[in-house]
Amino acid sequence: MMSLGSYLIISLILFVIGLVVMLSRKNIVAILLGIELILNAAALNFVAYSRYVTNNLDGHIFSLFIIVVAAAEAAVGLAIVIRFFQIKETIHIDEATQLRN
Amino acid sequence: MEYTVGSIAPIFLSPVIAFVINAFFGRKLPRQGDWLATLSIFISFIFSARIFGDFVFGQFATDFFIHKTFTWFDLSHGSEIWKVDMGIYLDNMSAIMLLMVSGVAFLIHLFSTWYMDHDEKHGRFFVFLPLFTSAMLGLVLSDNLFSLFIFWEIMGFCSYSLIGIYNKKEKAGDASLKAFMTTRVGDVFLLLGIVALWMLLGSVNYVDIYAAIAEGKFDGQSVLGISFATFAALCIFLGAMGKSAQFPLHVWLPDAMMGPTPGSALIHAATMVTAGVWVSLRMYPLMVLGDITWFIAVIGAITAFGAATIATVQTDIKAVLAYSTLSQLGYMIIGVGVGSYNAAFMHVITHACFKACLFLSAGSIIHSVHEQEMPKLGGLRKYLPYTHFAMMACTLAIAGIPFFSGFVSKDRILGDALYYGFMSGQNPLLAIVPILGFAGAGLTAFYMFRMMFLTFYGENKMHHDDHGHGHGHHDAKGHKSHGHEIHHEHLDARQNVPLLILAVFTLGFWFSGTLTGQSFGNLMGKKTEWFKILVEAPQVEKFVNYKREEFSKTDLRDKTHLEHAHYHHQTGYAGPNPDEHKLHTAHTIGAIASIFIAFAGVLLAFLMYIKKSVNPWATRFPGLTRVLQNKYGFDDFYIDVLIKKGLLGLNRGLAWIDMGIYDRYVVDGAAAVNRVLYKIAKWFDNVVIDAIGVDGTGVAVNLFNLVLRIVQSGKIQFYFIMLVMVLASYIWTLNF
Repeated sequence: MMSLGSYLIISLILFVIGLVVMLSRKNIVAILLGIELILNAAALNFVAYSRYVTNNLDGHIFSLFIIVVAAAEAAVGLAIVIRFFQIKETIHIDEATQLRN
Repeated sequence: MEYTVGSIAPIFLSPVIAFVINAFFGRKLPRQGDWLATLSIFISFIFSARIFGDFVFGQFATDFFIHKTFTWFDLSHGSEIWKVDMGIYLDNMSAIMLLMVSGVAFLIHLFSTWYMDHDEKHGRFFVFLPLFTSAMLGLVLSDNLFSLFIFWEIMGFCSYSLIGIYNKKEKAGDASLKAFMTTRVGDVFLLLGIVALWMLLGSVNYVDIYAAIAEGKFDGQSVLGISFATFAALCIFLGAMGKSAQFPLHVWLPDAMMGPTPGSALIHAATMVTAGVWVSLRMYPLMVLGDITWFIAVIGAITAFGAATIATVQTDIKAVLAYSTLSQLGYMIIGVGVGSYNAAFMHVITHACFKACLFLSAGSIIHSVHEQEMPKLGGLRKYLPYTHFAMMACTLAIAGIPFFSGFVSKDRILGDALYYGFMSGQNPLLAIVPILGFAGAGLTAFYMFRMMFLTFYGENKMHHDDHGHGHGHHDAKGHKSHGHEIHHEHLDARQNVPLLILAVFTLGFWFSGTLTGQSFGNLMGKKTEWFKILVEAPQVEKFVNYKREEFSKTDLRDKTHLEHAHYHHQTGYAGPNPDEHKLHTAHTIGAIASIFIAFAGVLLAFLMYIKKSVNPWATRFPGLTRVLQNKYGFDDFYIDVLIKKGLLGLNRGLAWIDMGIYDRYVVDGAAAVNRVLYKIAKWFDNVVIDAIGVDGTGVAVNLFNLVLRIVQSGKIQFYFIMLVMVLASYIWTLNF
């Protein structure tokens, strides 16, 4: 029998993988992938809590929103990455320091 | 025809528009806009002529008037009413005055376009000239003392500017200041009078003042120990004295000739000086109520006689005319004083015509020969025939020769003065008024003909001096004087036509209507003289319960009053309870006496300056001549005694108070206190504000800068780590 704990563990694993990818990889696309993983972990948490704790559809709606937002974010993020690549001819994250100065 | 504001306002507004355009764009206009100024006055003249035609030839009752008002500003709150009205008050007197002012001003403008041609001040002159005229027209249209005062001051400013228009000449600057300061003395009193009336009545509208007089609102009111009416009337008359240059505030007018001659013509004839007489006439019921008419008559008599005596020794052609203006204004004021209301106003009009003409003639002479000292002139009759003709007509008028306008008006004033001084049962000392009046009339004839004889007759000394020609060899060819050639005068539209038009109006029948039989007299259905019928002292009773008209409403025409209109009698005498028979006798004696006196004056001038059988006064009474040449020492008295001793002494006293008391104790004491306060403030400034506040902020910012520079690495993943750590620490703190 699946319990709330199993969902939370799955989501924790997803979150940690995403976090590690986000913090350690130097490839911008990889970082975006990590962010997607974190968002999915959050969405899984919402659905799980919605099912086992509140027992209504609020969490489901939230997770739908997260999916929509993630899609939008991926679109915008990838567009930025393409422009960045056109300018710098690299997608190494450490090159993205123009705003500093 | 109905009178709307649109048919009255252009009289005043068109010169204002010309003034504004000339003031801002005059330099860009062809001929610097003189044609615009002249045209604007002509527009005023057309509108005035229409009103004049309606009032004089139309079927109005003689006491018909148009009164349109609007509220200018309203400060009323609660039960207190503080409203200031502006408006137009038109009656027969304004209609005649408007036509005179705009007509004379138009001719003066026309003449000025010739006179000021190629003058460096041409443009500036034509800025002030229309403004001056518009102020006078506005003053005549005003229905209350307040707007009258505004126009009064505009005229004061314009006269200042016109007199001092040659601002590089020091004397012109001094003369303009003198004119401004002297009239200011009168203006202060006028303002005081207006404020006094305002405080008592809450309005300075003519109709309200008349109504208040009729209702007896002045009864029992007193201020400073004298009756209120006396106080107000005296203040207003003192204002009129300043503007109309009456003794002892007359000193500015003779100096006012420093400006261009057409400007003098405007000041002396149509505008400015007649404003004082105008306000005296408008406030005549107040003067009677305040019982100061005797004072007015005496001031007028002193001015009329004193100025005439000074004029007899002047050598500058414009100075003679200036003193003759003073003298004639004295007659107008005598007229107001002795109750000769109608004749005083008639003298304003007749004097405006002939004095404008005289000044323009003087301008024509000066412009032609570039000389205004009479001993250096002479024999100009041959060279300036048209000017000679016009000036002779005006001289005959001002001298009081029968059939000329000056005789008609001055004789009536003198007749009333004679009645007033000898027959009306007044204080016998007031007999001085007619005595001085008649003596001044004789002197007027003398000095005017002296001027004529010295200028136009005899031999031309200018040729003689420069070329040593023998006597009697004066032809016009090639004689130069001071580098200027005297040409024979040709009829010039701008130079001579104004003179000749004005000369036509020196004939008496235009005003008396007697020479043409009854054709003028038949106006209004009364077989008598139009001027006498149309102008009468304000009948205050009819203003009781008068409801004023608002703007934009049409006026009411009332023909039914024609039969009920009452005039005292044909002489226009407005004094109290005249004895018809004695008045008639006084006028008969006055007429005969003034004819004799005038001819005696002319004869004396003839003997002295043409026949040379009588020595001129200068050689006979050198002491007296010196006194007169010093103008009775009024200028010296004002400078030496009033200004040097009085005013400067007062200044010194005030300076001692200022230096000795204020400076030493108040200013220095305050300085000592300040010095202590300054030290405290300095410490506070240095330590608290500078060290802690300003520097402290700087240090703090620097510190934060150090930290933030490290944190702000620009590496996204570093930011992620920070974010995670913050979130983690937040959650961690939540759990404990």
